[in-house]
Amino acid sequence: MPEPHHHPSSYRDPSGFVFLVNGIYHRQVNAGYADNYDHLMQSGLYDTLVTGRLLIPHEEIPENLTASPQWYRTLQPQQLPFISYPYEWGFEQLRDAALHTLAVLKQAVEKNMILKDASPYNIQFVQGRPLFIDTLSFEKYDASLPWIAYRQFCESFLFPLYLEHYCGIASGKTLTAWPDGVPAAVTARLLPGKSRFNAGALLHVHLQAGVKKGSTSGRQPVFSRQKLTHLILHLENILRKLKSGNNIGSTWSNYYNGTILGHGYLQEKQRLFREYIKDLPFHSALDLGANDGYFSKILAERTGTTVVAVDGDAACIDRMYKTTGKKDGDLLPLCIDLLHPSPAIGFRNRERTAFHERFCTELVVALALVHHLVLSGNVPLADLPAFLAELSTDALIIEFVPLEDEKAQELIRHKAQWHLPYDAAAFEACFRGSFSIQQKNIIPGTERILYLMKKQRP
Amino acid sequence: MIGQFLLYIDPGSGSYLVQVIIAALLGVAFYFKNLWWKFRSFFSKNNKDRQPKKEDENA
Repeated sequence: MPEPHHHPSSYRDPSGFVFLVNGIYHRQVNAGYADNYDHLMQSGLYDTLVTGRLLIPHEEIPENLTASPQWYRTLQPQQLPFISYPYEWGFEQLRDAALHTLAVLKQAVEKNMILKDASPYNIQFVQGRPLFIDTLSFEKYDASLPWIAYRQFCESFLFPLYLEHYCGIASGKTLTAWPDGVPAAVTARLLPGKSRFNAGALLHVHLQAGVKKGSTSGRQPVFSRQKLTHLILHLENILRKLKSGNNIGSTWSNYYNGTILGHGYLQEKQRLFREYIKDLPFHSALDLGANDGYFSKILAERTGTTVVAVDGDAACIDRMYKTTGKKDGDLLPLCIDLLHPSPAIGFRNRERTAFHERFCTELVVALALVHHLVLSGNVPLADLPAFLAELSTDALIIEFVPLEDEKAQELIRHKAQWHLPYDAAAFEACFRGSFSIQQKNIIPGTERILYLMKKQRP
Repeated sequence: MIGQFLLYIDPGSGSYLVQVIIAALLGVAFYFKNLWWKFRSFFSKNNKDRQPKKEDENA
C-alpha cells in the first residue's frame, strides 16, 4: 500500500483530513468527530442532502488507510475532475455558492445539526451547479447559541458580493486580496454612504464593523431556532437582490454579438472546429479566452467530457454561467487573466495550488487569443508553445490572427513596439518543437488561420 | 456547549452579539410583515394571489 499523502489544504479542522492514495482522494474522520458523523449519517441528513444534490456523496471504506490512532472512519467521496477557488468565480457563482451554503444550513437545522464553518472553499461547481464538499462541516445543533460561522459567511460571501454590488469591485478580485474573507471594518470603509440606508448592509456590515470583538464580556448570548431561521431568510433575501457590477469596464462581453467580423466568420470557424474535434479522443478540455463560452459549449456537448472555460472578463464568465443549462454538460466557467493566473497561496504556498497545476487537460483550445497575448500582453511568440504544452496532454486547437486582421490592427493602433516576427511562418516555426501540425485551414472570408496540433512526445 | 476541538474557526464574540441584535430586529420585522399580510389578505378579494410566501409564514 503506497504512503497516504495528506492534502496540504486540509489541516484546519481537527475533525479529520483529506488524503490521497493511488491518485484517489479520501477523507479520514477522526474519533473526536465520531458523534457528529454518526448523527449526520443516522439522522437522515446525509441522505436528504445527497438526494437533493446538495452534498458530495461518499462511500465508507472499512480500513484505516493512514494507520492513524485517531482514526474513526475512512470515506471515499465522489472524485471531482477539477478544483476551483472562489477568487476564480464570477459574481453569479459566488452568489449561488452562498445560497447553496444557506440551503445546506437549513436542511441541517431541520435535522438538529448546524454548519460549524461557512467557507466558500467548501463549495465546488459540478455539472454547472454548486456542490457542498466538506462532509465534516456538520455538528450537533444547540439552539441556544448563535451561528458560529455567521461572521465567516459574511466575510467570505456577503461582503465581497456587497463590494461588487455597490462599488463594482469584482468579487474575485476582493477574494484574491482577502482569500479568507474581507473583514467587516474594511467592507464598511469601502462601501458608499448610501449603503447605510440599506437595511441589509446596515445590519450585516456597518453594525458588525461597529461591534468590537469580545464585547459580550464572556457571557453567551441567548439565541433560538426561530432567530436563526430569521437570519437565514434575511441573508437569502439580501443575496437574491444583489446585482453584479461587472458591466463596468467589460471589454469582451459583447465580442461575438457586436464586434465580431461577421456572422459568416463564426459559422465557418464553428464548421472547422467541429470537424477538428469529431475524431479527437478527449474527456477534458480547457478553453482559453472562452468569451461567453460559444465554443466551450460545443466541446461540452460530448457526453462525459468536462470543459473548463477560462476568460479574464468577469462579465463573460457571469453570462456563460447564467446561460449554461443541463444540456451543456459539465462546463466550468472561471475568471482567469492568463497574464496573471491564480498563484499558489496559503500555508507554505501549498494550500491552494496554482492555475497551471490544476488545469491540465487532453485538449486545449485557444481561439482568437494569440494576438492578445503577443500584441497586447507583449508575450514573445516563442514562449507560447511551452505555456500551452504545460496545459495540454494531447491536442491543441489554436487560431492565429495575423497583423492585417482588423482586430489585430485595433490592438497595435497606439503601440510602437511588439515582439517580432509576428506572422504565420514564425508562429508555425515556434510551435514545431512542442507540437506537430495535423490540420491547418484559413477561415474563409478572413486571413485568420485555424490549426489542429498534437503534442509531441518527448 | 461547543466542544473544544470544534472551535477551530474564531466565531468572534462580537459577531454573536451582532446576530442577537439582528435576530431581534428581524423578529420584529417579520412579526409586522406577517400582520400586514394577514391584514391585506383579510381585505383582499383575491386571497390566493396575496398569500404570504410559505417561508415567511414559517419565519
